[in-house]
Amino acid sequence: MDEMIAGTPVFTGERAHAGYRLNRMAMSLTDAGHRARFVADELGYAREMGLDETEVEMVRQRDWKAMNDAGCSIYLLIKIAGSLGQSLLQVGAHTSGRTLEEFMASRKGH
Amino acid sequence: MGRVVGGIGSSHAPSFGTVYDKGQQKDPMWAPLFDGYAPVRAWLESLRPDLYVIVYNDHMNRFFFDAYPTFALGACEVHPQADEGWGKRDLPDMRGDPQFAWHLARCLVEDEFDPTICQEMSIDHGVMSFMPMLADTNWRTPVVPIAVNVIQHPIPTARRLYKLGAAVRRAVECYEKDINVVVMGTGGLSHQLQGARFGFVNQEWDNQFLDQIEDEPEVLASLSHRDYMERGGTEGIEMINWLAMRSALGPSVKRVQRTYHAPMITGYGLLALAPV
Repeated sequence: MDEMIAGTPVFTGERAHAGYRLNRMAMSLTDAGHRARFVADELGYAREMGLDETEVEMVRQRDWKAMNDAGCSIYLLIKIAGSLGQSLLQVGAHTSGRTLEEFMASRKGH
Repeated sequence: MGRVVGGIGSSHAPSFGTVYDKGQQKDPMWAPLFDGYAPVRAWLESLRPDLYVIVYNDHMNRFFFDAYPTFALGACEVHPQADEGWGKRDLPDMRGDPQFAWHLARCLVEDEFDPTICQEMSIDHGVMSFMPMLADTNWRTPVVPIAVNVIQHPIPTARRLYKLGAAVRRAVECYEKDINVVVMGTGGLSHQLQGARFGFVNQEWDNQFLDQIEDEPEVLASLSHRDYMERGGTEGIEMINWLAMRSALGPSVKRVQRTYHAPMITGYGLLALAPV
């Protein structure tokens, strides 16, 4: 059972392990050559890195929330997203179940 | 014998690098933060430091979960900038100080800290994002980085970081060379980068933290991880790195600069303290 902090699970070693394949692929994207290969053929690269088909589908769908829920660290998730042209704000909003526009609208007056 | 001549607590963020590289420091969104660094930079120059010890955290750039160190100490001639997944900034690599680092390693182990000692250690925005605001980017002064696991729980307690800073001070004071050392602690302040509470910032807590790190650090050392994360977000737990900076200064301090600004999804803090 995850320890929850205001609705968000604490990122434990067990979560890092559950998301290990996603985390490992994301880490590989700190290399420019790997990024180029991922961008050229993201699904092929993901399979080559050992992602299962559920995880490959998360990448195809840009389903940041599903990846985060599956144990992909936010710091690694933004490497996948960044390679595909999406920002931390887009990713973070998505993990909270909102679009970037919805998130920004909720910030008005802050 | 060396001496700790100053302490700096600072937030770090990739956005600092973007703003700096685009020359947007005077932009109204950012000036209230960046203006705070100028007096700290002038003060830092006046201290003529020989070395910076920087207690920070890596963000899945040098270290990965295959073997994740709780504490990692760099004993390197050079600390290259890490590629965080979008290419490096146009900044020179930083210089290290392996002679001091090995001395620090011996002292820390004697003091019952057991860091992973790295002879290759790239550094990410945890160091590189705020340092160009504090020093010329020819990096005349070498750095000895200590990376702390604040990402994959279980992570060290706030109390452990507080003890780490005291151990760094003891190591500086028994060094064979007569050197001036500035200790930095970096991370936070409140931010929540994921999940239902994405974007959460707690300005009241951040300002309380800035008060207490100066005057009542024992109170902060006694807090639990849950206290930090409920008040400052799950990613805001980085704030415990500041406790190492504070305890390295000894019991009494004088404030040189304090800045706080929360323009978006992070409370940014800067605090410069001199030992008394």
